[in-house]
Amino acid sequence: MATTAKNMKGFYKQTKSNITGGISKSKPSSRKVSPKHAATQGSDATQPAALISHGSLDVKDGYDEKEEMLRQFDMNMAYGPCVGMTRVDRWERALRLGMNPPYEIQRLLKTEKVQQDCLWQGRV
Amino acid sequence: MKKTLTFVDKVPKVENFFLSLSLLSRNFPAMASMEIDSEKTHERKQSDYTCLQDERFEIQKEMYRGQQYSQIYFARLHLMRTLLYSLAPSWKPHLPVCKVLGLEEGKECIIVGTLFKHMKLKPCVLDEYSKERSVTPLVKPRNFMHPDDSLILEDESGRVKLGGSALSPAVYVTGVVVALHGKETSAGEFVVEDVLEAGLPPQLERPLDHLKEDKYVLLVSGLSIGSNSSNPLLFQLLVDHITGHVSDDEELGLAAQIVHVVIAGNSVEFPRKLLTGQNMASKDQSTLYEPIKELDIMLNQIAAGVSVDIMPGLNDPANFALPQQPLNRCLFPGSAPYNTFRSCTNPHSFDVDNIRFLGTSGQNIDDLDKYSEAESKLDFVERTLRWRHLAPTAPNTLGCYPFTDRDPFLIETCPHVYFVGNQDKYDSRLVKGSEGQLVRLICIPKFCETGVAVAVNLKNLECHTRSFNIQL
Repeated sequence: MATTAKNMKGFYKQTKSNITGGISKSKPSSRKVSPKHAATQGSDATQPAALISHGSLDVKDGYDEKEEMLRQFDMNMAYGPCVGMTRVDRWERALRLGMNPPYEIQRLLKTEKVQQDCLWQGRV
Repeated sequence: MKKTLTFVDKVPKVENFFLSLSLLSRNFPAMASMEIDSEKTHERKQSDYTCLQDERFEIQKEMYRGQQYSQIYFARLHLMRTLLYSLAPSWKPHLPVCKVLGLEEGKECIIVGTLFKHMKLKPCVLDEYSKERSVTPLVKPRNFMHPDDSLILEDESGRVKLGGSALSPAVYVTGVVVALHGKETSAGEFVVEDVLEAGLPPQLERPLDHLKEDKYVLLVSGLSIGSNSSNPLLFQLLVDHITGHVSDDEELGLAAQIVHVVIAGNSVEFPRKLLTGQNMASKDQSTLYEPIKELDIMLNQIAAGVSVDIMPGLNDPANFALPQQPLNRCLFPGSAPYNTFRSCTNPHSFDVDNIRFLGTSGQNIDDLDKYSEAESKLDFVERTLRWRHLAPTAPNTLGCYPFTDRDPFLIETCPHVYFVGNQDKYDSRLVKGSEGQLVRLICIPKFCETGVAVAVNLKNLECHTRSFNIQL
């Protein structure tokens, strides 16, 4: 049952093109971009949604030092569970409960374009 | 020394109850002539009512963002832990306070955390999927306790199994935050030697002298209008007593001393057999609303004379999870226009003449009754006060809104009167705290079954029952 590389596209079913009439879901454009792993070539059934975060292609994993700092804030157990709350709400709760969270985090969340939801949002 | 006032109306055996009712109480001309004879008019006493505390129980501003109950447990643990850390040095000054993960074998220390009670008989949704299908009992047990129940303490770092005889699993429930003194054994268990509960919260000073006259707040619950066991005549007697439509001068004087009425839950009982899931005929729809219409008529009579608060209960048309939101004003078209009528949350906290009242419709105590044991219901009530938490079993076994940043059931100031509605019988106790706090604990019985309402004297926190009876 060996298939040559040329036959890969024929072996795996292509996704349906958008037919007019009937029920059709509009797909976000990022789903048509081919993923890095060859094993999933042509099929997006095994493509984990996590790599495509918030509708845009996550090339760098959205991972710079600012996000790193915010993730450390998410993971800090002193401020309580992070799932189910936005980072701003969690920071404000920490402030209200007298835990003195660093103001840097709030400044980052309010002024710069960073992810407002916690690390696990949508993934757990 | 329990004082009971009984009002018994001997109704002659007539077919028409309404005829006899009109003979009894609706005699305005007779009353007017009585007043002229005795030259004594009774004016209802006035009092200051404020209800600022209920804001914490309202959830209009809350937004559900998919959070889970871990948030409310975190808020509860954090606030109670700060408190217990401040109490620990005066309790056991020589012992260090440490976290569960910092426990060392043989080292005596204090740990602070939330208790979790592992119960064998507690119903678990996963039992439906278990392979061994044992015969499920037809009658659900009223109490889920078992001698094998064990307690576990969980703090922000980890959990540890608790042993020793100082902490009885029969008394505690999941959700209580305590400080424990003990040491870890080689088996990895923490043997408890002593327990520190938060104790009674600080209390505002009760105004001592300016109340020289008797003023009563009347508490009633479990009216259950619309149920088979409720008698409309009984409730009418209560309303007549409150509004002063009575012929006896002494009773009129008693009625004039009532400054506030609180109805603590389970005021209606809908005919649930009509709710079949099918479309209802319009005749059935009007039958469904009968109980609430009847309640509105009665509340109208009460609200015209005295300020009244109505709290939702388990059977009322309000949300299920605590804190229950106020019953919608549209349900009471006749009573809502009165500014003396107030629809309140459950739990409810208010001040009358600077006396702080705090109460629930009974769900918190009934849930404690299922998962722990005590000699009387008042023991449960006292325990919740000493644990500084109205409903420790929420959200474990009692439905609760998933708050993220606070736990509204924490009792921050000690009330002067703490009442619980819909209990089986009347009971009351005066509790003294270590810092001079004085609290009157009251279990209000179900009115439809007992005909008993409770009156609390604001002057001295003394409390007695007023029972209504119909002898046929």
